Order: sequence, then structure tokens, then C-alpha cells
Amino acid sequence: MSPAKQRLAITVLILLGVLFVGFFGLRAARAARHIRDGGYGPGNPPPPPSETDVELIRDWMTIPYIARTYGVPDRMLFKELRIPDEGNREKSLKELNDEYFPEQTGFVLDEVKKAIDDHRPPAPPTAPAP
Amino acid sequence: MSDFLLTQVINYGAPLFGLILFLGALGFPIGASAVLIAAGAFSQQGILKWLPTAALGLLGAVIGDALSFSIGYYAKDWVDNRFGKSKAWKNAEEAFDARAGMAIYLTRFLITALAIPTNLIAGGSGIRFRRFMTYDTLGEFTWIVLYGGLGYWFGSQWELVSTFMSNFGGLLLGVVILGAGIWLAARRLRSEPSQELLPKS
Repeated sequence: MSPAKQRLAITVLILLGVLFVGFFGLRAARAARHIRDGGYGPGNPPPPPSETDVELIRDWMTIPYIARTYGVPDRMLFKELRIPDEGNREKSLKELNDEYFPEQTGFVLDEVKKAIDDHRPPAPPTAPAP
Repeated sequence: MSDFLLTQVINYGAPLFGLILFLGALGFPIGASAVLIAAGAFSQQGILKWLPTAALGLLGAVIGDALSFSIGYYAKDWVDNRFGKSKAWKNAEEAFDARAGMAIYLTRFLITALAIPTNLIAGGSGIRFRRFMTYDTLGEFTWIVLYGGLGYWFGSQWELVSTFMSNFGGLLLGVVILGAGIWLAARRLRSEPSQELLPKS
């Protein structure tokens, strides 16, 4: 390799390295902050097996998966969406939305979140302060 | 792509998970690490059984690596004809041979972006297949335990750790590239004065 090509290769490597370190370093630091803000880390207990936060529902999830994770009957979710469970159990929320509600983007996702929230038992009353 | 695969992993379980890790090890850009972290979370939620999932995942990843190693092995003649006479290529081969075990092991789980190139180079460099498989299996086992374990620990919050790990992998790749650049620059600086001191013939 000629000295000029060597110099070019070294410059490209260093620039690319700095670019990667800067870009991914910042993103990794931001992700680490999110994790820390979520209260996770060594010594903290893992999250409960039954989820309660509906904001974690994504449109790649299927109805039976959501029902199991959130501890609700899957038939109730199909009933709320007014679609049959037969033939739809393996479809993602996005696929269901595209098939049954193509004009309403995100409708199935929102309906599922709402149905789970509505199905949740009311919080126990707090004891009055003495 | 990842979203589609996650839906299918929920539906078809461990065999499909093994297939995804197999395709990932062959170099298909399907986000295998993210799927592995998600599989850990699915195990915690009781959707997948962790033992068969981990076993099939390990099997898929190791077979995929063996195949990409063999691609490098059978391309060796072509590579030798093309670059074999170059001194730089011979130096690179010798440097790789000296650190092959560590390179194979670390690229399985720490700098995963370099896993495929490492497999191809290892196949073409004359490293014995058994030696490659030993380090490869250890590395893939570490990958599955580490990433799958993080997914299991974080449960439904697995996306947080997946984002972190993918960016951390990019950061490490940047450190490796930067390190290589600095090392080459230092070597060049060392060799330049000595060349100037040589008597001109």
C-alpha cells in the first residue's frame, strides 16, 4: 500500500471511529438513563409477571399474547373489537387493524388499551388519615 | 422486520426462534439480538419455555456460524489468488491467527457487527474447524445467557435494554475502529523516522 493510501485509510478509520463513538455513545447513554429512571439495576427486583402498564402494548403483539401478559380474557378483547377470534388469534394488532379498520390508523391498539384499562378492578380505597 | 418476527415468535415459539438465530448467524439483517432479548422476556412471561428456547437458539446460531465459516473456507482459494501475494494480507492473516480465539469469542456477543466478517476470515485463514467451533459455541452461549438473561430480567420492559445493547454494540464497534486507526497511525509514525535514517542506496 502506498504511503498516501495508508494515510487515507488511517484518517478514514479514525474519523469513522470518532463518529461511531460519538453517535452510539450518546444514544447508549440516553438508553442507560431511561433504564436508571425506570428504577432498574442490580439489587432491584424484576418486574411482576403480570403487566399493568398499557403503554407497553405494541402493534406487533397478538390478542392472546396481550391477554396472557395483562391477565385478561382474550375473548373479552375480541368482543370489544367486534371481530371474531377464529382465524385472528395469530394476527398482530397491526394486521387486525389493516384488515378490519383500514381507515382508522391505530384504532385496534387504542381499543385494546382502553379495554384493558376498563377491565382492571378499581383501586382499593385508601384509608382515611387519622 | 423485527416486529413481524416478534409476532411469529409468539405464535410459533422456540423452533422459529432457532431459525431466526440461524439466519442472523448467516448474516441476514433481521435483528437477532433484539429478538433474543425479547425471547428472554417471553420466557419470563411464560410464553416460551426458556430451556428449549435457549437450546434451539444456540443450535441455530452455531449451525449458522459453521456455514458462514465454511463459506470462508471454500472461498480461500479465490482469496489467496486475489490477495495471497500481498504482504499486508499475510500480516493481517498472521495477526488474526494469533488472536483468533479471542476474536471469535468476543464477536459473538460484544461486537456482534463483526461476527460475520470474523467467520469468513476464520474460514479462509486455515484455523481448524474444531478450534473455531469451541470458541464459537462458548461465545454464542455467552450471548444467549447474557442477552436472554437481560430480557428475562427486564420482562415487558425489554425494549429499554434492547435499545441500550444495540447502541452499546455500536459504541464498542466505534472503539475498535478508532483503536485500529490509532494503532496503524502509531505504527506508521514509528516506522517513518527509521526509514529516514536508512542510508540511501
